[in-house]
Amino acid sequence: TAVQAWVESLRHPDDTRLGLADLHPDVFAVNPRLDILHTVAMWQKNFKRISYAKVKTRAEVRGGGRKPWRQKGTGRSRQGSIRSPLWRGGGIAHGPRGPTSYFYMLPMKVRVMGLKVALTVKLMQDNLHIVDCLEMPTADPQYLVELARYRHWGQSVLIVDINEMPENIENAAASLKTITLIPALGLNVHSMLKHHTLVLTLDTVAFLEKKLLWHDTRYSPLYPFSMPYSDFP
Amino acid sequence: MAAGAAFRVAARRLGLGAAPRRALWGGFRKKEQELEVDKIVEPEKKEPSLICPPPRSRKYLPPEDLQSSLEFLVREIFGPSIPDNWQQTPLKENRLKYRLLAQLASELGHTVPNSQLHLMCSAKDVLNFYSTPVKDVSKFDELCAAELPPNLKITWEQ
Repeated sequence: TAVQAWVESLRHPDDTRLGLADLHPDVFAVNPRLDILHTVAMWQKNFKRISYAKVKTRAEVRGGGRKPWRQKGTGRSRQGSIRSPLWRGGGIAHGPRGPTSYFYMLPMKVRVMGLKVALTVKLMQDNLHIVDCLEMPTADPQYLVELARYRHWGQSVLIVDINEMPENIENAAASLKTITLIPALGLNVHSMLKHHTLVLTLDTVAFLEKKLLWHDTRYSPLYPFSMPYSDFP
Repeated sequence: MAAGAAFRVAARRLGLGAAPRRALWGGFRKKEQELEVDKIVEPEKKEPSLICPPPRSRKYLPPEDLQSSLEFLVREIFGPSIPDNWQQTPLKENRLKYRLLAQLASELGHTVPNSQLHLMCSAKDVLNFYSTPVKDVSKFDELCAAELPPNLKITWEQ
């Protein structure tokens, strides 16, 4: 059961319904796994995190080598150093220790599934639009904004193209905050969820389908994929 | 050494060329001012064909002769290959489906959204879709759609 979408164009505000594009059901009509979306979004947020918080322990705080008063005889409690965690100005017992990294990698298939679920969700909630080409008549950012408003696209638009984009749309999107232009390799779940609408070109759709479908029927790697393979898409 | 002395003498002679250089700098400044003025003037003119019309409302009321016009369109596009009940014509071929849906959308001003394109399998589904009225009322929706100042955003989720 194939899924379809209208093909539009950016040349004129009324250029909707130029054609019908067929989309692969295993990429654009998967089960809406919101838990996978959540895991991938949290992974994207956290795996780059390095917290630089560090506090000194009782060994690192300056001073505190000498026993402040003798063990017995004075009525006070027994203390070994003036920098123990009980003291004011003393070290912290269980504080953050040094830069900690929160790096972890989800399995490749989980991340791929996250992309597929995000694309499905965008299509099924009517937030996905397909454009045949990103040619613009002017490099005016206001034209893009008015076009998005006229076609009821939403507050923020994420435009994805495959490699090179025409200069007009690059200059127009460079000065806008709500409309972003990214290459197809930079597509990620967080951006898709953050922007209200997603606009793909036909080349991008083909590229994404090819890359995402390969993971359904692949052998497990004998050596990491980061090293060259002859048939890696 | 002699070559070096000759070079310095030539440089002093060229130093007299400093006067025409100052005139050149003044000339460049004038040209820069002219360029700035031109750039300010040009973007004010916009071609009338590129000015977007204001966004249309998504209201849709099905017309009364919907069934007859839809049947006429189906017969016109699909030609002879129709089962007895015209509502059961499968919309499998992409070109015919595109023609039918594009013509309906341009006539009635209401397009099938991307999320429901895969649900349109037969003419009956199309008929059901186009006979459901769509309204975009609700004061908060109207507020969101009305012209707001650029620094005001309303998020209203139902």
